Amino acid sequence: MATTITEPAAQRVERLERIWVEPRGLWGWLTTTDHKRIGLLYFFTTLAFFGAGGIEALLIRTQLAQPNERVLSPETYDQLMTMHGVTMIFLFVIPISTGAFGNYLIPLMIGARDMAFPRMNALSYWLFLASGLFMYASVFMHAAPNAGWFDYVPLALKQYNPGRNIDFYALGLIFNGVSTTAAAINFIVTIFKLRAPGMSMNRMPLFCFAMLAVSLSLIFALPSLTIDLVYLELQRTLGFHFFDVAHGGDPLLWQHLFWLFGHPEVYIIILPAFGIATSIIPTFSKRKMIAFPLVALAELLVAFIGFGVWAHHMFATGLPTITLVFFAAASMMVVIPSTIQVFAWTVTVALGRPEFKTPLLFIGGFIVFFVLGGLSGIMFAAIPFDQATTDTYFVVAHFHFIIFGAAVFPILGGMYYWFPKVTGRLYNEGLAKLSFWLTFVGTAVTFFPMHILGLLGMTRRVYTYPSSLGWGAYNLSETIGAFILTAGLLLIFGNLAYSRFRGAPAGRDPFFGGTLEWATSSPPPPYNFPVIPTVRSAYPNWDAEDREADVRRLERGELVLDEGHETPASTVVDAVPDEVLEMPAESPWPLAVAVCTGLLFIMLLTQHYAVAGVFAGLALLCVAGWHAKEPVET
Amino acid sequence: MRSAARYLDPDFLQWFGLFGAALTWVVQLVVGFGITVARCGAANEVLGVDVKPWEITLMGVGIALALLAEAAALSVLWETRNVDYGGPAPEGRRHFFALAASIGNLLFLVIIVLSGTGAIVHEPCMQS
Amino acid sequence: MSALPHSGEARTPAAVARVEQARLARPNGWWGMAIFVATEATLFGTIIGTYFYLRFNNLHWPPPGVPEPKVTLPLVLTGLLVLSSIPVQLAVNAASRGLLTRARVALLLALVVQAGYLGMQIHLFVHDVHEFPPSGSAYSSIYFTMLGAHHLHVFVGVLLSAWILLRTATGLTGYRMNGLRATAFYWHFVNVLALCVLGTQLSPLA
Repeated sequence: MATTITEPAAQRVERLERIWVEPRGLWGWLTTTDHKRIGLLYFFTTLAFFGAGGIEALLIRTQLAQPNERVLSPETYDQLMTMHGVTMIFLFVIPISTGAFGNYLIPLMIGARDMAFPRMNALSYWLFLASGLFMYASVFMHAAPNAGWFDYVPLALKQYNPGRNIDFYALGLIFNGVSTTAAAINFIVTIFKLRAPGMSMNRMPLFCFAMLAVSLSLIFALPSLTIDLVYLELQRTLGFHFFDVAHGGDPLLWQHLFWLFGHPEVYIIILPAFGIATSIIPTFSKRKMIAFPLVALAELLVAFIGFGVWAHHMFATGLPTITLVFFAAASMMVVIPSTIQVFAWTVTVALGRPEFKTPLLFIGGFIVFFVLGGLSGIMFAAIPFDQATTDTYFVVAHFHFIIFGAAVFPILGGMYYWFPKVTGRLYNEGLAKLSFWLTFVGTAVTFFPMHILGLLGMTRRVYTYPSSLGWGAYNLSETIGAFILTAGLLLIFGNLAYSRFRGAPAGRDPFFGGTLEWATSSPPPPYNFPVIPTVRSAYPNWDAEDREADVRRLERGELVLDEGHETPASTVVDAVPDEVLEMPAESPWPLAVAVCTGLLFIMLLTQHYAVAGVFAGLALLCVAGWHAKEPVET
Repeated sequence: MRSAARYLDPDFLQWFGLFGAALTWVVQLVVGFGITVARCGAANEVLGVDVKPWEITLMGVGIALALLAEAAALSVLWETRNVDYGGPAPEGRRHFFALAASIGNLLFLVIIVLSGTGAIVHEPCMQS
Repeated sequence: MSALPHSGEARTPAAVARVEQARLARPNGWWGMAIFVATEATLFGTIIGTYFYLRFNNLHWPPPGVPEPKVTLPLVLTGLLVLSSIPVQLAVNAASRGLLTRARVALLLALVVQAGYLGMQIHLFVHDVHEFPPSGSAYSSIYFTMLGAHHLHVFVGVLLSAWILLRTATGLTGYRMNGLRATAFYWHFVNVLALCVLGTQLSPLA
């Protein structure tokens, strides 16, 4: 990008600034529809929940460090371990990957100026925040969900769980699901329709393929959870019969529907990590991803096949073999797309000129934990092995290697990688490398011994254990590991917080990335790109000719779209430019709808159904107000 | 097979090549699973489900459709063999999708065969 | 890029017709509704799946004491609802050619049928709840959940149609045209769904 700017170009940039700038201060944040601001709101909110989930984890580890401890009562332990799972999955890892990373990066990577539905984007965030607060209100009332994150019946039924705990769980997750569904719709339409001219699907960044797979999975998986929770609440509050055998129901119905959601959910958790890894590797290997079409396919395949493996969570329930074989078969084969990806990643690094900066180190850690966790995972596809290890710490080891080692490591690496883009400053590389090693060692020490404990027979979810079984030493080392891990994480956040204010200026493209977010300034202006980029390959920022052409276009006023809040829409598959869209500016309605919805759910929880209806009506009126204001050109 | 891409609409072949085997597997899973639930549930007394013919048919049709989808993908791949997968649409995009589909279909074929075989050889309603 | 239509600028029926003529892909609003429909269709897939899952686990279905499902009235009502897709689509076609009044009349006709359907169905629902309450068996639990969910979706469709009719009272814009397209797609979904729900509801008679 030229450092001197001509007069007509400067005028166009100034016009864009005037059109797109949002109000400063609190009101600006409450009414924002800018995907970057919404991404930051998600980022800080999810980190707060990460902290909560982390404290829950440390309390659990403290209770389990030695046999026969009574740091926590069994009732409190049950609530903590349930909330740890629920928080980490629904309030941290999914919203940070989709709401924070996805929201901030997708429009930038596809050369657009915003998401397809900016106001609905804001609504997703406010609904997410409200659902998190709703669920955490239960913690402060000492009535938090207590039946594990998968909340099996009959333990979750009124007969065995008469308090409000499970109602918080059911209503809270339905509430959370509305937010996530709205976000998924937004991502899909944005990725389909808002790509820059020339960015046909074969030239879309791999991060976008991953986010497309995540969003499609959410669309088809969430309904299963939602209906399961609806059945649960209908049975608990209105005496319906879905899960009790005496009246023709079946407790396994809960499990089928839960895992029909729950398994795709775990692919939803890991796919953004794949997307981040496939963004970091080419940049630091200084070459394109090997077997690009196969990696893109693998990301979609893993999500798709993941819908057909759910009953591998039920291998020990006594289902007939002829039912289970479908799931054993798919579970064995679902590992193949992941293997393709692991080969592609490692070969790309090997064939490139790798620069082991911290983001790439985190991807290295990710690959290690993903391979190990994947190996323990594939072992569960064998029914006999699964029946011996179900509900033991072997399972806990597997999913923590995958969720923490493989899903969170790229998130941490991604924080370092895109920190310069978001803040315009560089982080401290030396301190960052130290933070990686502490986190890596902490993760290994915390979760590796769990494999052994599981094979020794320690069951999951127990709040303590006797001293005669020889489990004490492993548990103690896991607790020590947890504190090392915490130190590593604190160092990461400390480094980023300090560098935010004192880091060296980063410039537009400190790492020479290939995707379009690196083609604009750091941080990006509110309108993302002064000129809509034209794209002729999957790594458009490495096409110097095209990016120089952008500069000349700014001077000529081509593709600047400065007559309003404008961004182009194109055809779905081949990105042929189709129309110019007028996007909405800031709006108070999303916040209003979220507040009404929050009040609606509180009324449902307290069983004041008529008042709940009133709030539903109010929410609809707010939606009407929202749509009464049509975006027009200024 | 190779000339199919010249007579049939290449985009139809590309999409069928990409989704054909995948959707076939979904049908085999949903119906095949449903048959086993019906056979081993309390209602089998009145429904009288016979598992083997169902599962054999599902697997047979599944294999046939998966092979057809693979043929479609390979024909598009052949027609676009001189195009780069990063090249301009529609040729580049077709090559990209055909490349991906030609590998994916094999995966679905294996899942269909494994699932069908398992459902056929095991004694209905016996637990593992 | 200046040659491309600016759908936001279209504020008269004639301008909207020009935009509709020129566009290559379906508008974002249509896609948003399509994906929302995908998630709702999946929701009903799980409900219908639950119905058959419970059915396979019960020897007597409906259980003793619960009447067999009625055929004639549900069939007629569903038929009428499904037919309302015709005026809904006619409304979209007319509006996309700039014929606003024709579009509004067609939409209103459809709305009258749809609202009438909903009223009758609510009446039947309340009657059935008193006859075999959901707290009696798994059959009645899934029966009322399935029907209740469907009627809720019809109700939302009625609200959408009413809103579009209200907004187009003051003219047609590109934004409202997209809203009309999205509403029409939603109705076609609800009407197909009605057939699936009816089929499931009547399946014990097979």
